[in-house]
Amino acid sequence: MLPTHPQSHPGSCFVHKYVHLDEMSQPQPLIQLPQTAERAPSAGELRFWLDKAVCWGQADGPDARKDASLHLSRLKDFLQQVLTHINNMSSTAETLKRLPLLGQFLGRLCWNPYVTADATGRRLLLQCLWGLYSEHPGNAVERTANQWIRKVLCQLATEEDDAQALMKKMDIPPKDYHLEVLRKMVALLQKSIGKSCSCLGDTNQRCACDNILATSEACVPLVTCPEAAPLISALLQQQVTCVRAALSEDFLDAVSSAYSSRCLSLEEQAVVSLWCHNLPSLEEAVLRLLDCALTYSGPIPQKQLEQSLLPKACAQHCSIFLVVNDIFRSILKQADGTECVKYFVGAFTGCFLREVALQQHQTSVSLKAMFPQSPQSLLLPLLTRPTEMPQQAWRRHLIWLSSSLQRLTQEEEHGDDNSSRSGRFHTVFEAWFLLVQCSHWVQVAVQLLVTSEPEDCAPLLWLLTFYHHPTNRGHHRALQLVRGKEAWDHLHSLFSVLDPPLPIDLLQSLVTLLSPQPQPPPLSPLLTLNLFVNFAVFLQQSLSASTEIVQMVLDRCGLVDGARWVLSSLQIRMNQGDCLSSDTERVHLRIRALQNTLTHMHVASSPAKE
Amino acid sequence: MEAVLKNVAGTAELLAVASLSGEVERWEEPTVSRAFQWARYCEHLCRRFHDNPAIRRVIEKQLRVTNHGLRAAFAGYGDVSFSDLYRCQHLLLVGLLKNPQLPISVMKILFDAEQSEYQEVTGYCSRIIQCKSACKVLSPLADSSAVGADAEVQAEMLMERLGALLSRGGEARHILDSVPQGFEGAAGHFCVVIAAALLMKKNSSQDFLLDWLQKEQSVLEQMCSSLPSALIIELTKKQPKFRDAFCDLLKKWASDMEYSLSEGEWIQTRRNPTVSFDRLTEHFLGLFETCPSVRVDVEEELNALKMSDGDFDVRGLSVWGDLLSVFNKSV
Repeated sequence: MLPTHPQSHPGSCFVHKYVHLDEMSQPQPLIQLPQTAERAPSAGELRFWLDKAVCWGQADGPDARKDASLHLSRLKDFLQQVLTHINNMSSTAETLKRLPLLGQFLGRLCWNPYVTADATGRRLLLQCLWGLYSEHPGNAVERTANQWIRKVLCQLATEEDDAQALMKKMDIPPKDYHLEVLRKMVALLQKSIGKSCSCLGDTNQRCACDNILATSEACVPLVTCPEAAPLISALLQQQVTCVRAALSEDFLDAVSSAYSSRCLSLEEQAVVSLWCHNLPSLEEAVLRLLDCALTYSGPIPQKQLEQSLLPKACAQHCSIFLVVNDIFRSILKQADGTECVKYFVGAFTGCFLREVALQQHQTSVSLKAMFPQSPQSLLLPLLTRPTEMPQQAWRRHLIWLSSSLQRLTQEEEHGDDNSSRSGRFHTVFEAWFLLVQCSHWVQVAVQLLVTSEPEDCAPLLWLLTFYHHPTNRGHHRALQLVRGKEAWDHLHSLFSVLDPPLPIDLLQSLVTLLSPQPQPPPLSPLLTLNLFVNFAVFLQQSLSASTEIVQMVLDRCGLVDGARWVLSSLQIRMNQGDCLSSDTERVHLRIRALQNTLTHMHVASSPAKE
Repeated sequence: MEAVLKNVAGTAELLAVASLSGEVERWEEPTVSRAFQWARYCEHLCRRFHDNPAIRRVIEKQLRVTNHGLRAAFAGYGDVSFSDLYRCQHLLLVGLLKNPQLPISVMKILFDAEQSEYQEVTGYCSRIIQCKSACKVLSPLADSSAVGADAEVQAEMLMERLGALLSRGGEARHILDSVPQGFEGAAGHFCVVIAAALLMKKNSSQDFLLDWLQKEQSVLEQMCSSLPSALIIELTKKQPKFRDAFCDLLKKWASDMEYSLSEGEWIQTRRNPTVSFDRLTEHFLGLFETCPSVRVDVEEELNALKMSDGDFDVRGLSVWGDLLSVFNKSV
């Protein structure tokens, strides 16, 4: 099970892999497989494996089975080596001259069910046999090899044993018979796993759970066999009441990789159980979802978040939520918090909170348990959704939030005791992280800025600036706040213009604020863009005028994709009811109209996701 | 009907070509796929007309004609019967794989793991191997009873099919009647399967099976000779009818015994394989332990028989007397 203290969990050792996510097109494998050396297998190695294969074929006890299952992975590596070697040789005769025991070895493996049940093992074995088949046999050795290969394959696929003589009488075709036997056997085993533990902690007594480890080991080669899926699900979901009811690590790894490569389908609860048992599989799922979010052409739809099962899993198991958040923290620290990642974290947390609300009747986990590292005073204020509060209270609420956060940052900056500096920085980071998780309030702040008076902007602007620039590196914050106010002023003026033409100097200043600069400007252009789009949507100005402004500005600075993104996320929020809904319909129309406009604009290649 | 007969004849020809002719050299993936489709079609026909004796006869007649022709055309041709058609795909597969002219490329397709548009054919053999191997991997774990997981599973299938047939009012005897008799391999396994079937949760087919067993003394005898005592005891505990049949069998075995002066022991002379006197008494005593009420009845019966033999207490004169004296010693 997952440890409860998030900071010390093993996941932190994977932090260094969570970098450059924007450049990744696929999640990096968390476990790098060693490349098998492309050298020829030696006769000694072959002898070793042949002896093993003989051993497994002769003995039939649990030890032999365990040995076969433990060695399966290395055996597959060896088979790959053999296959490469066979393909490199110019003829079968030569291959067999170099490795005379090869035929015997492959022949024995054909009758080892662990190798033949496993998808990779089977594939490698068959490919080795094909490799030894000569299209144009040139001598007796090759002719014999060809005959032998055909014979073995025929036997493998069609041989009938005693039991099948009976089946013949029942008029069942062999293929259906084997399928049915397998299904029934899986059902038998599922039942025996369902039996509750009876050993009451007495380690000397035999327990029904003893079988579970052995069964999980046996299922390692079966992870890609669809009929075995119910058994695998049952194994994952069985109650861990007994010390002996452990699942083999090989099993968990195999299930994890089969599930992530979509070769195995599991029930929802089985997937959640897998994540509970196996940390790498959870991490991989999170990274995969994140990658999905980053490659999506807009803000990730809620449906996709739900389908990943991660929010639900987090709601069911607090420990999973803690791990997921740790991953988010690492990513945000490393990649310096890109806009998409921040949005994703906010959307994910929102989805999570909705799942928790659905689960409330089952388990009641305290907020503190879910967010142990966040400043407790900010928890409830930030987690409360805007919809849970009267709209008139929003501004006051945000002012309170803003001043609380300001206080926190000031304490961090002005603290003169060096030893606790990192502690205070930690507090600021956690406060910021919580804000990112509850980004709905940031968006409300942006929206309220549109209808604010100039003298009311300060706290909201501060909040916005803090969201985009959590650290006061180089003490730029003062400058950033000034720039922010400037931007607001420009926007306010621009969108208040009643008659055309639009003042060029205002436009230009705005464009400058929005355009990518050679050195990073003190204020994030995305902050300005967000503000800009919100002005266009929420201000009580004619749609055509707003549209014109939007077009002119974006024409010059090129952030069309970014603007589209903001509009999509606004739309999502509207659908969730988080916006000022005095005239929801009108806002919807405006959003749609602006989206239309943007679609028709020429898209300059603009790095929107900076 | 015409079309059906034509297709059946065509499929039989197809099977012959697949296994015996060099035509397969030119077969490729689409051809193989079509061949399997025809085979599947025949299997479907079989299942459909299984309970229709009239149509079945017509099809069998057609097959006789076709067989005759194919025998003349192909050396080494083996006749195809109606019941063979249940496993038509399997026959096709066996024929193909055994045909030395089959191109290796076709074999590769059958064993391939990748997906292709000819879903039924690609990896056909690979799937079979996967299933068989998975069973072998799981079977030792499911061995919770004395009969083993394989027999348990097969017993379940047997009972299901008997049940289905009986509920349709069809003939079920033929399944059991045509099982290979004897003492080797398949027959021995069949005994285990029957035992497993009788040990299952109570179901309606078990009565049918028990009735059949009582009529088929040879199978019953084989079961009681080859199965381990513990298993037989289980059976007597669970199935009263079996217990009675078993008891009768033991008495029959006893009555077939003759006393051999040279060996100083009761032996069976006319049976094969034989049951020893010791084993016989073991069986009896095991039976008594689990069902004490039987003991009273049996002892009464044996006493009566002993008296009809002259009621002597000397060893070697009456098998019944000797049995009783062994029983009395073990009280």
